[in-house]
Amino acid sequence: MKSPKLSFDALRAFVDNLPDDGLAASRQAALEHLHKNGLPTTGDEDWKYTDLTMIVDIGNRWLEGQGQQPLPAEIGGTVDEICSSIDADWLIVLGGQIDERSLAEFSPSGVSIRRLTESANDLLFDAPLSDLNTALLQDGLRIRVDGDAALRRPIGILVIDDAMAGAVMSQIRIEIEVMASGSASFVEYHASTGSADSYTNSVTSLDLGDGSCADYVRIQDRALHHNHTSRLAVTTGQDSAFNHCAFDLGGRMIRNDIAIDITEPGGQIAFDGLYLVGDGQHVDNHTRADHRVGPAESHQEYRGILTGKARGVWNGKAIVHQGADGTDAEQANHNLLLSDNAEVDAKPELEIYADDVKCSHGTTVGQLDETSLFYLRTRGLSEHEAKQVLTRAFAQAIVSKSPISSIHDMLAEKISQRLGELMHGADA
Amino acid sequence: MLEVKDLKASIGDTEILRGLSLDVGAGEVHAIMGPNGSGKSTLALVIAGHDDYKVTSGSVTYQGSDLLELEPEERARKGIFLGFQYPVEIPGVNNAYLLKAAVNAKRKHQGLDEMDAFEFLKLAKEKMALLDMDPKFLNRGVNEGFSGGEKKRNEILQMAMLEPSLAILDETDSGLDIDALRAVAQGVNALRSPDRAIVLVTHYQRLLDYVEPDHVHVLSEGRIARSGDKSLALELEEKGYDWVREAATG
Repeated sequence: MKSPKLSFDALRAFVDNLPDDGLAASRQAALEHLHKNGLPTTGDEDWKYTDLTMIVDIGNRWLEGQGQQPLPAEIGGTVDEICSSIDADWLIVLGGQIDERSLAEFSPSGVSIRRLTESANDLLFDAPLSDLNTALLQDGLRIRVDGDAALRRPIGILVIDDAMAGAVMSQIRIEIEVMASGSASFVEYHASTGSADSYTNSVTSLDLGDGSCADYVRIQDRALHHNHTSRLAVTTGQDSAFNHCAFDLGGRMIRNDIAIDITEPGGQIAFDGLYLVGDGQHVDNHTRADHRVGPAESHQEYRGILTGKARGVWNGKAIVHQGADGTDAEQANHNLLLSDNAEVDAKPELEIYADDVKCSHGTTVGQLDETSLFYLRTRGLSEHEAKQVLTRAFAQAIVSKSPISSIHDMLAEKISQRLGELMHGADA
Repeated sequence: MLEVKDLKASIGDTEILRGLSLDVGAGEVHAIMGPNGSGKSTLALVIAGHDDYKVTSGSVTYQGSDLLELEPEERARKGIFLGFQYPVEIPGVNNAYLLKAAVNAKRKHQGLDEMDAFEFLKLAKEKMALLDMDPKFLNRGVNEGFSGGEKKRNEILQMAMLEPSLAILDETDSGLDIDALRAVAQGVNALRSPDRAIVLVTHYQRLLDYVEPDHVHVLSEGRIARSGDKSLALELEEKGYDWVREAATG
């Protein structure tokens, strides 16, 4: 068992030096929580495959450098490129700080935005790493979508970090509320540049009002030597709908947690994901759906494609609490291993304490279908082409079912490009 | 076109082809018949290059050169087409995409320019009309959710687009209703030409009512037990496969 030790004195010194803004009280409370509980270790069941030592090391080095947040100077081009690739109203977070200009230019009617620093906040930090997030938080956004807002396009949230030298750590917090009967779609995009070490920890909460609907796509396309942990906590209102799809295309050590709390009946929830993992990358997805009342449906399908010495983890937990009759919970996880050295740990967990429920789960880990490969080759496609075609098709199943159809082509293109890199040269 | 000489092939430890010889000339249509397990499908798969089957002796020559040393895709680009007994469903791979990739792989091999989208669509629609196929099939996943008959028509569509020099159709007639059988036969007959050879692997005589073969061979236990003209197929239909088996062993 490894227990990564964050240098707590340096952490406290850094936090004490931050301005006395609307986050100050939450920061101090979270700091105490973190001090008491520490960071998760591989001895914790939920963290046994993901060792945070490397991330803690980045944090300590960053604190040694007085928590320098280098001004992102060179990433304007990358920001423009990403923002123009997706038609959305963008809010931009640079190195953990809200970009003033994107805030000023953000104009969709029916959406209000506040900075978390502006007024007193009482932030929740009830999960591992969310206390670290809150303790070090310097900026964050509260987004409220009115019930009658008629949005023309998705709200985009670009979280980008530039690690120019040393080690860089950043935190970001986004709190979203979709009011009763409201409807909105969101694209959360993570990117990073720079050759130095980087770790970003993002926490997002989403409250869905009664009869509301949210489509949410998260795209994680960080540099292959950068690290990221994310947490998304969702609470659903009565008869609300939530469609989520996550794409992990880059990053070195990636851990994503999703927790969906179903406290009102009538929820329709779909959360899917795709992870492409190459040599030296580690992608861990932990999902949890708490069905506290019924009827409600939650469906999830995660797919992974792994090459080289890649490591993937999928852990899907569905808890049907006592009295949550009429629950329909479905989980699936399918993995394609394109090399002998790739490894995946897939673990569905169903806990059912109600009687009238429909639950299913299925996981597969396998290689490309030999019969399909032969079929394509008898049509003149080379072995390499045939493998690429079948692998893209495996990924496309998730793209096709993801919400926000206006970005399907862009996603397919990005995935195809990344798969090309992953399968290049390798016998894959 | 195709010369198979004393071919022996095994899967795992089981020898399936036990010294099979066959000559197929340009312009000819051959029917290969035989009971289940006689090696019909194995012969088709060995010619297409399936690597589950190990050739232990004998030779296969195609257009004058050794076929067995080529990869399946090289055989395809040189004009060999295998119509599958059980066409594979490939969800997520668009039917039009596969057709176009197949046509262009062959054209590239021949040193021709790739076919553009307009030209491709025009040709595909033409061939589909001949097979009585709805153009909507182009935009579906390869064989995804197709009925048995639709899958077989789709094989014939691929064949029609690729215009192979040697087409081997492995039980393309099995499981077809009479309309589908007619459509498939029409597709095959449209392809008959003096510079093309067609090998029909079939269990029943039925298809041969619509596509008249020049030669009929009966396979038994991995060898050709009997060859003849189309009347052999009729005789077989009447007397059953036991007759061949007895003739072969007795």
